[in-house]
Amino acid sequence: MSTSPEPLPMSSAQPSPAPAPAGESNPIREAIEQAIGEHDVILFMKGTPEAPACGFSARTVAVLQALETPFAAVDVLPDPRIRQELSTISDWPTIPQLFVRGELIGGCDIVTEMYESGELAQALA
Amino acid sequence: MPSAQEIKQRIETAIPGAHADVEDYTGGGDHFRATVTAAAFEGLGRLEQHRLVYAVFAAEIGGPIHALTLKTQTPSTLTTTN
Repeated sequence: MSTSPEPLPMSSAQPSPAPAPAGESNPIREAIEQAIGEHDVILFMKGTPEAPACGFSARTVAVLQALETPFAAVDVLPDPRIRQELSTISDWPTIPQLFVRGELIGGCDIVTEMYESGELAQALA
Repeated sequence: MPSAQEIKQRIETAIPGAHADVEDYTGGGDHFRATVTAAAFEGLGRLEQHRLVYAVFAAEIGGPIHALTLKTQTPSTLTTTN
């Protein structure tokens, strides 16, 4: 079971060549931080849970679905700045990225490893 | 385009004492799978262990290296699990 991703304001943002300098208003970063804060379980992925656009995102979705975990999902593909800002916030270079209660759990490898060991079910409990 | 051997050498050079097994699993020079064993991982969580390896390649991850699938372990994990 998965909640459909709610469109975030950043999804409709137009690409711009330069990221906002530090200290200035950064609506994309703020929208990402807000989304991470608002959802207990949130997955930043390529594509959607219904139509993943990458095998690693697909596998991570499958793990969450196997655990019957409701989760929010954000597609990073519509605007390259989402991925850029997300990686700055999380200090994590790849997609997907799973956050539970505001904390980065990891990407596909860690999520899969934790699923197999039973740690993921504990982290989500 | 990096080879599996090059990825292995870069990890082992950057993380002292590390041993890496690297496979180019598509043969295309851009999707790699690595198992890295290093004493430097001792005491670190998985996130930090993976970050140490990702840091070797910085912006190349997601660029020329499309995917680097990682499994990290410490020498002591090896002796306890094997």
